[in-house]
Amino acid sequence: MLLNKHPWQAAIEPLFPEFETLTGVKIIREVYPEDQFRQKVTVELTAGTGTLDVFMSMVAQEGLKFYRAGWYEVLDPYLANATLTLPEYDAKDFQKAAWDAEFVEGKLVGLPIQAETEIVYYRKDLFEQAGLKPPATLNDLEAAAKQFHKPPERFGIVMRGKRAAATSVFSSFLHNFGGDWMQNGKPAINSPEAVQAFRFYGDLLRLYGPPGSTNNHWYEASAIFAQGKAAMYVDFDSLFSVVLDPEKSQVKGKVGFAPFPAGPKANLPSVPVWGIALSRQSKNKEASWFFLQWATTKEQVLKVLLKGVPGARQSAWDHPEFKKADIPLDWVETHVQQMKIGSPNWNPPVVAVSEARDIIGQVIVTAIEGGDVKAAADKANAELEDLIRRTQ
Amino acid sequence: MRPVYLLSDPEAARRGKVWPSRLFHWLDRWAAWILPAPAVVVILLLTAFPAVYTLYMSTHDWFASSLTPPRFIGLGNYVRMLTQDERFLNAVWRTLLFTGLAVGLEMILGVAIAVVFNRDFLGRGLVRTLLLLPMVATPAAIALVWAMMYHPTLGVINYLVQLLGFPPLEWIANPRTVIPALVIVDAWEWTPLITLMALAGLAALPAEPYESAVIDGASGWQIFWFITLPLLRPTLMVAALFRTIDALKTFDIIYIMTQGGPGFASETLNVYIFQTAFLYFHMGYASALLVALFALVLSVSFIVIRLRRAA
Repeated sequence: MLLNKHPWQAAIEPLFPEFETLTGVKIIREVYPEDQFRQKVTVELTAGTGTLDVFMSMVAQEGLKFYRAGWYEVLDPYLANATLTLPEYDAKDFQKAAWDAEFVEGKLVGLPIQAETEIVYYRKDLFEQAGLKPPATLNDLEAAAKQFHKPPERFGIVMRGKRAAATSVFSSFLHNFGGDWMQNGKPAINSPEAVQAFRFYGDLLRLYGPPGSTNNHWYEASAIFAQGKAAMYVDFDSLFSVVLDPEKSQVKGKVGFAPFPAGPKANLPSVPVWGIALSRQSKNKEASWFFLQWATTKEQVLKVLLKGVPGARQSAWDHPEFKKADIPLDWVETHVQQMKIGSPNWNPPVVAVSEARDIIGQVIVTAIEGGDVKAAADKANAELEDLIRRTQ
Repeated sequence: MRPVYLLSDPEAARRGKVWPSRLFHWLDRWAAWILPAPAVVVILLLTAFPAVYTLYMSTHDWFASSLTPPRFIGLGNYVRMLTQDERFLNAVWRTLLFTGLAVGLEMILGVAIAVVFNRDFLGRGLVRTLLLLPMVATPAAIALVWAMMYHPTLGVINYLVQLLGFPPLEWIANPRTVIPALVIVDAWEWTPLITLMALAGLAALPAEPYESAVIDGASGWQIFWFITLPLLRPTLMVAALFRTIDALKTFDIIYIMTQGGPGFASETLNVYIFQTAFLYFHMGYASALLVALFALVLSVSFIVIRLRRAA
């Protein structure tokens, strides 16, 4: 089994002995930091040695590539098989956006273990002083960013601006402006809607963001917000622990959590999901399937949720024990609401995702720098077409 | 003189008595080949094989997944690299720019510091030792600390710049300043190497030319320009060669501080190769890029060596 060094892995690993006593199956696992983890999984599966049974997987990141390569065991037959699946498993309990994320071309390829969604972190104190509500639309977001922009003490908004990393956050903007990565099977990031979204994102950061945004990944961006240097921060909601960390954050107790603002055309906040998948090369498929179920039962999801990992079962979020926990109510409500309407489509649906993200990220960087967005989008779109031709 | 036999008794061998003795004799005859053989095998396995395999892979199109097994495409990767791949050409240019600026700055500062440190002054030993610290520090740690210091809003460098009355800069977060900012880090780290080599060269210089120069009434600057520098030139050429080869391959500080960003503004050839191989998994194309990097390092080194011969 290969695991990514991740809060979910940290929460579930201490529970492994339970599974081992329950089933008599011994779990042999290796844990790596994310980059090395992805390399290791790719190398193992390319080599086809069959020693890998179970691995963590982000379908929106590598799903299409792994699926086309035949590396995922398709799980629909297992789930439908009453002799292999626990009667109380209840797959319908998974939140919609998280469950949808585990499908490639209509086939179930993993079980969701953690879901996050893109939200607005905002300074409650500032908004209250100004008599403002958190932004409900993208226009509100821009107006608020403008109003609270008082450099160099405080910037209106902070978001990721670093090439590939920014594309994840940009995805919700793209969809809410009515654009999409692909249309009719072709890249469409130079459509009028997409160009509008790129401009909007770039303008926000150039006009109302901190200097040097193009070098900000989530850790730089969240640090600026946690230092009290920005009025709003748009990113995924799993970062709330960074913002609320009493040792690092100067804004603890002043932070509100609002849903991602609706756009002129749609309201599709992005939902990245980590799942756990079964290798088709595995020699222990049934035992591995038991592990997959065990790791995602209502009971386990509640346990990891109580440790702060946003698992994907609604029952855990509704559980009285979780409701007692010291977690901000607006964060919980925003998360649960967006899991109903969100989109798992936060990455371009291509085989060579990393390279596509770098190509698209370059348009975002151009927009932040105030360059010619349309020309950059046209160029990137042509590069994407070439990339798809070369890799698919 | 009688040959020295290590293992065998030549008398016994000549008499052809016992076979072990013949074996030993054979070993003695070929000792010059047999003894270094293990080392040669190891070197072949560790360097020659990967190099040849890289060359072989560079003629293939291989997107690492079992969707597409490696496919022979001849010089296709090289054609694409030179005619279609803007990122490659930009990366080559940036690699040369970074190397030129970094090595130039390091040579000037390194020699200047060496000349100062060559004089006698109180605490010279201590200062010389301290000077070496940047060179022995871990590059990854250096890069992380510099990235923090360069931070446009939270970093200490902009604080100091503003204390001096200048407007704050975006340093590594701006495509126009990122290369100079990285050059400063590289110079901070590697100037001591030039200083060290220049000091060794200075210590070996003869005293006579200086004595006659002083008698002839040359100024300090004239002595440096017309005596020290020409005499030091062979040493400096070697130092420049070492630094050039290293600077062309610089990876750690750039990758840690910017990952080639903002946009692709600091993407050197080595960073691009890393992304192509380990992020995009285009193994064939990455191999071709590696061959290009090898050719680049080789030709730049060749030019530097020619300059040295000409001196």
